[in-house]
Amino acid sequence: MTDRRHAVRPGPGAWALLTLTEGKLVARDTAGLIIPLGLPMLIMVMNGLGADRAGIPEFGGLPALDAYVVPLTIAMVVALIGVVNMPSFLAAYRTTGVLRRLSVTPAHPVMVLVAQVLVSLAQSLLGVALALGLARLAFDVSPPRQLLGAVGVFLLMAAAMYAIGMLVAAVSPTTNASVAIGLVAFFALFALGGGFGGRQNLPDWLATAGAYLPYGAGLDVLSACWTGAGPAGGQLAALAATTVLAGGAAARLFRWS
Amino acid sequence: MAVIEVDGLRKRYGDTVAVDDVGFGVERGEIFGLIGPNGAGKTTIVECIEGVRRPDAGRVEVLGLDPLRDRAQLRQVLGVQLQHGMLPDKLRVGEALRLYRSFYRDGVDPERLLTDLGLTAKRRTAFDSLSGGQAQRLSIALALVGNPRIAVLDELTTGLDPQARRNIWDLIEQIRDSGVTVLLVTHFMDEAERLCDRIAIVDDGRLVALDTPGGLIARAGTGQRVRFRATEPYDRAALTRLTEVTEVTTRRGETVVSGTGNLLHAVTSELARQGVDATGTRHEQPTLDDAFLAITGRMPERNDEEAER
Repeated sequence: MTDRRHAVRPGPGAWALLTLTEGKLVARDTAGLIIPLGLPMLIMVMNGLGADRAGIPEFGGLPALDAYVVPLTIAMVVALIGVVNMPSFLAAYRTTGVLRRLSVTPAHPVMVLVAQVLVSLAQSLLGVALALGLARLAFDVSPPRQLLGAVGVFLLMAAAMYAIGMLVAAVSPTTNASVAIGLVAFFALFALGGGFGGRQNLPDWLATAGAYLPYGAGLDVLSACWTGAGPAGGQLAALAATTVLAGGAAARLFRWS
Repeated sequence: MAVIEVDGLRKRYGDTVAVDDVGFGVERGEIFGLIGPNGAGKTTIVECIEGVRRPDAGRVEVLGLDPLRDRAQLRQVLGVQLQHGMLPDKLRVGEALRLYRSFYRDGVDPERLLTDLGLTAKRRTAFDSLSGGQAQRLSIALALVGNPRIAVLDELTTGLDPQARRNIWDLIEQIRDSGVTVLLVTHFMDEAERLCDRIAIVDDGRLVALDTPGGLIARAGTGQRVRFRATEPYDRAALTRLTEVTEVTTRRGETVVSGTGNLLHAVTSELARQGVDATGTRHEQPTLDDAFLAITGRMPERNDEEAER
């Protein structure tokens, strides 16, 4: 007997078409792309223009632009897309009945969630490519000394941000609420993670918390891959734990209609 | 042979009993109407059939499948049009149909559905730019794109203008003629009377009547009426003595004759025999509205602009 479930559930063609369709919908929301793709680049340009290119010993001899601003920018792209943009799509899909409509077809609504994550990941990669391209061409920023490590920690950080985004989508009653909750979550993580100047300016306990929340942890482990110092195990564990805890909570709390 | 069987269905939400011991069967190839006022429990019954809601008690079988246990298989053969089922704003008509087609093992060519539903010119139009009627036709197309054996259509003409409603009605008849069993949920009596082969009236969570539209109207016992205005005095007693006539009343110069059989012919013949000229003669057949009123004791809701839109 062939697998009966296989015959009645949508196949790879449906998954591909759904992901492609989600991609088109995200691309048509042009205004929604400007912030996550444009703002990080703007911040990098502003930092890069007045930057002192002198190497700093604690960054392994790299300028601060390479070792700190570029990782900060990358983390910002992923955080904005994962924590603000993606949940707004999912919350809209729930409140307007898109997910409920899907639930009476052979397609499980979870397919839309997966498709959105894939599309968001593609968006993040595009944003990172744009930011890195600009950094390379305009400011001659060096590539990370641990390239593979940088790719790995980038994916881990993206997983943590998307898990938080899923949680935002799960607890948001409306689309507007999801944007509001997403922005608050983003700015909290951003500020505690060192986005508005270094964490050393924060009270000790907040700085410590910020170092293990996804923005601070992501920034540090990326930076460590740039300088070649290697990411700290505690912060990698914190990113993994965030992914599991936020993802698990989102799965429990997510309502389909 | 019944394609949908519902037996002893019960569902309560907190202290509110939404569905109370409802049972009926839907035959293959018919248009079966589920009518009743808003909040009567129609949607809950349909949701139990669709497998999106778990009944507290009772049995539901659709094409021999258990809607909850055999969800995946049921989805392949049951097409659903939701009252508030929406698409993403920027999704285009053609994209929506191709996407939904990909979910099903068998299906209808999206191009053919676009043609059949008059949406060819709207293929590249985004969902949020469609008119109410166009969105409704798309929603019906999505319910049919999987080539279902049963289509569940929920409040499908709510918010549409009269011409768009008639177009949709023609479409539903074509769907039935193509062999699809249709379960139609509505609170519009004219729609149910025009389309349905059989109708179940649900009121306050209970099934209060189940019959053909004609059967319901006959059962309600409201007869037909002939109205006219006589231009001169006439012999009212002679009119009342006719076997077809049960009652004659006059209000503000208009005579209303209630009765049965070939009432119109009997009344006009009698007036002609008396040599009386009558103007404004109208023959009123009882409608499902009358039957609904007689059976549930309340007026059906009117089909005007809906508050919910």
